[in-house]
Amino acid sequence: MIAAPALLVLAIMAPATGVVLAFAFGGRAAEWIAIATTVAGAAIAAGIAATLWSTGLPLRYVIGDWAPPLGIALRADGLSAIMLLTSAVVMGAVVLFARETFAQRPGAPETRTPLIFWTMLMGVWAGLNAVWLAGDLFTLYVALELLTFSAVPLVSLEGKPETLVAALRYMLFALVGSVLYLLGCALLYGGYGTLDLELLAHAVRAEPVTVLAAALMTAGLAAKTALFPLHLWLPPAHAGAPAAASALLSALVVKGSFILIVRLWFDALPGVAGAGAATLLAAMGAAAIICGSIVALRQARLKLMIAYSTVAQIGYLFFLFPLAGAAGHWSRIAWTGGMMQLVAHAVAKAAMFLAAGLIGEALGHDRIAGFAGLGRALPVVMLAFGLAGMSLMGLPPSGGFVAKAMLLTASVGEGQWWWAVVILIGGLLAAGYTFRVLAPALAGGPVPLVAPIPRSRQAIVLGLAVCALLLGLVPLRPSQLLEVGRPVAMAVSR
Amino acid sequence: MIWLGATVGVPLAMLLACVLPGVRYRMTNWLALAAVPGLGAALFASGASLDLPPLLLRLRLSLDGPGALLLGAAALLWIAGGVYAAAWLRGDARRGRIAVWWLLTLAGSLGVFIAADLVSFYLLFSMVSLAAYGLVIEGATPDALRVGLIYVALAIFGEALLLMGFVMLAVSAPDGASLIRDVVAALPASPRSNAILTLIILGFGVKLGMVPFHVWMPITYRTAPVPAAAVLSGAAVKAGVIGLIRFLPSGVALPGWGQVLVVLGFISAFYGVLAGVRQSDPRTVLAFSSVSQMGVVIAVFGMGLIAGDTGVALAAAFYGVHHTLVKGGLFLGVGLAPLAGAWRNRLVLVPAAIMALGMAGLPLTGGFLAKLAIKPVLGDGLAGLLGTVSSAATALLMTHFLFRVAALPKAAPAPPPGRDLRWPWLAVAVASVLVPWGLYPAVLGGSVTYALSASSLWRSLWPVLVGGGLGFAMQRWGGSVILVRDSNVIVPVSARVDRIMIGLGIAVERFDIVLREWPVAMLSLIAMAVALAVLMLAPI
Repeated sequence: MIAAPALLVLAIMAPATGVVLAFAFGGRAAEWIAIATTVAGAAIAAGIAATLWSTGLPLRYVIGDWAPPLGIALRADGLSAIMLLTSAVVMGAVVLFARETFAQRPGAPETRTPLIFWTMLMGVWAGLNAVWLAGDLFTLYVALELLTFSAVPLVSLEGKPETLVAALRYMLFALVGSVLYLLGCALLYGGYGTLDLELLAHAVRAEPVTVLAAALMTAGLAAKTALFPLHLWLPPAHAGAPAAASALLSALVVKGSFILIVRLWFDALPGVAGAGAATLLAAMGAAAIICGSIVALRQARLKLMIAYSTVAQIGYLFFLFPLAGAAGHWSRIAWTGGMMQLVAHAVAKAAMFLAAGLIGEALGHDRIAGFAGLGRALPVVMLAFGLAGMSLMGLPPSGGFVAKAMLLTASVGEGQWWWAVVILIGGLLAAGYTFRVLAPALAGGPVPLVAPIPRSRQAIVLGLAVCALLLGLVPLRPSQLLEVGRPVAMAVSR
Repeated sequence: MIWLGATVGVPLAMLLACVLPGVRYRMTNWLALAAVPGLGAALFASGASLDLPPLLLRLRLSLDGPGALLLGAAALLWIAGGVYAAAWLRGDARRGRIAVWWLLTLAGSLGVFIAADLVSFYLLFSMVSLAAYGLVIEGATPDALRVGLIYVALAIFGEALLLMGFVMLAVSAPDGASLIRDVVAALPASPRSNAILTLIILGFGVKLGMVPFHVWMPITYRTAPVPAAAVLSGAAVKAGVIGLIRFLPSGVALPGWGQVLVVLGFISAFYGVLAGVRQSDPRTVLAFSSVSQMGVVIAVFGMGLIAGDTGVALAAAFYGVHHTLVKGGLFLGVGLAPLAGAWRNRLVLVPAAIMALGMAGLPLTGGFLAKLAIKPVLGDGLAGLLGTVSSAATALLMTHFLFRVAALPKAAPAPPPGRDLRWPWLAVAVASVLVPWGLYPAVLGGSVTYALSASSLWRSLWPVLVGGGLGFAMQRWGGSVILVRDSNVIVPVSARVDRIMIGLGIAVERFDIVLREWPVAMLSLIAMAVALAVLMLAPI
């Protein structure tokens, strides 16, 4: 029996070991190593979540018994547990889905693309789990870099000139973000002599050096999260990648840097940011929702539309800062609602990108104008797309509905109704871009398909969409699991 | 109670069975069964309630008097509509898809009458509104897709308003309350009560076709396949009626809001008639009559709110029962008329005339009792007078409707499907008279002797004579004045709205392109960092 805290190390080590093994054993083994890693990773995530659920206490693992500030601590609170589980579910679906796309055919010579896909997939996962679990700002930096540098090759996997440009654009902008973040780390280390989240939380004062660090780090991380108007890299990168990779990038990778902002504001530097800065972030989020959705409505290609929808859906996450920033009942509702948006969007968006991948394979293109009759040719895929769209619109029963209802409740409860108006408009616009795809697909005669789509792959996409639907059963009250280890001292209130 | 669970559960189970293509294509034959548990619930489960197993969400279904009235009538119409659809869709390639949307709409339509908590009400309300989209776009007209788009845009807009209203209700309610009864009880005292009432009235107004949100109604009912138009116009629209019953405060006088509702209601009531008499397609005429009738219901709610009357719910529900059966039935009749051959007069026009003029209050019909039920609510003042005038106006509109049905081209002598369409049509026609007569003394406690007194018969008869006479006169001498033409206005208007939206979209897209240039993005990044630092240093 492994002691529960050791699971935290395993959660990072399992995919990291997978990366090494896949490089060592090469092409054909990589796929199976990835599958084994998925099973192990899911079990570890479930184990951590179950422990937190039953004890109601966060887990902590001090590496090599060297206590911070000298050593490194891993920490799992309710937020980590939820993110670990979400990553495991999305990873599982992506791995199953990608087996067809990135199989090394027996007898044929080995190709490079599958090897890169499977190793980078596990690299992304290792980075994600490290972000969810790391207990200090420098480990978080390393985790973030691992995440970015594993994600960039996934963008350019197809090797076409435009995807290479997109990958380069992504990497350069992410690099700028990293530099800002690292600068902030240096300032904090100079000021307080530690980067451990808990130790910092006790030491920080709202003085110029702290504020400068917080501002630089937040801006850098917002760039990596593609918060509007810092989203220049996201649409081409997410739309150009293969569907399985796009699902991963949109569902999970952008959430990594977002969670880092949450860690920074709520865990490491409580009371530094203030209401004005929180409002600025949420206002950028509101602009993301409105502009992202409208531009999504204008896209002629399905994958670009979905990518812009990601730009918009990221916006909702930033409502967390003004709404969950104060103490009290509404803030707890907002906390659960914001995290629910994170999870629901991850699952629904992954389902949508995978559905888009199948549509692209079946039709040989992804131009929305050519979708007439698709409902009859690929009913299961269109059903999955519709269910995922339902969650993005925030229609019940779906995870997106729970998220939006709770964010609405919090904004009304705290008297910040303007966020509620944006949430509602965002829902209408999301309905617009979903119906733009569904309406022609539901009408018209069947279209000829250039390639048959195996039922098993359709089932994976539908399964993911059904998960988004089932998230709608989560009760509309503060979640117990999410409250585990949540700092009482809140970010915004001073 | 098992009936309540089955009301929603059985149609959903049938929906699940549609996963199998073999079942899906045969499902149209069994559609009538889906609404049987709903009828059973209305008959046997009034007063019952059911807490769904508290897996994660806590949902509650329960049935009260007004809910049971509307549920029973809606279930009857869904059953008759199901039988009709089975014959109508025989051999139709669309029948599998129509069955799927039908069952989903049905589950929502019957479910809203028994939903007792906010979340399940919102869920079922969304279900009936959005699933109907699938029925609309299966229509045969070339612009079915655009009509569907207009419908769904308005439906989702209405739902957004309702969601905001519900959230504000929940926030204002005592901690942890989720039952509609409890949150609405806290509404009058809430500091947000005006905002909440605005949202709720507009939200349900969209569903009820309240002018100017009625634009979806005529085009939708004209486009959807006949059986679908019947259940949508008769049963699905009552989701708005039960919404007002559930969410308007009961027993508390809010005269200001009551007056607003009365004005809005009568605007719809008369606008519906004025627009309806200009239509040539009998289905469009019926749709405008729905706008008008739901306007009357809104006015009834308004009068109830002025007086703080608790009895208004039952009266409005009773009015709704009659409208469900008559309006749904008339659509079935319109579908049958071209196929009825030589029997058209006896088989279609005579029952249709009784039903249609019943809506205006023709004595001894079901509508006569419906008008009697709302009379005490409207009172003897201005509202009562307007109610009487609207009866006459309805008689005028319905006379016009009957002439339009008579003018429908005759198809070849009734093929077998045409024959099978007769029974559900006649059954609804009979029910539209018998059901109100059965309920009036039993549920409403109305006096039959009073109803049959000479004075009340005359009070109800003369508006029908006046309106009907005007209708005849217009057909006879004013044909060119009426300027019969179809109301296709909304479709080009929506195209114009499209162009404006596209213009806006292009502008935002250009803005986005500028923002995504490297120098601009880098400047944004720096500006953000500076702004954050400034805001953190100088707290507001």
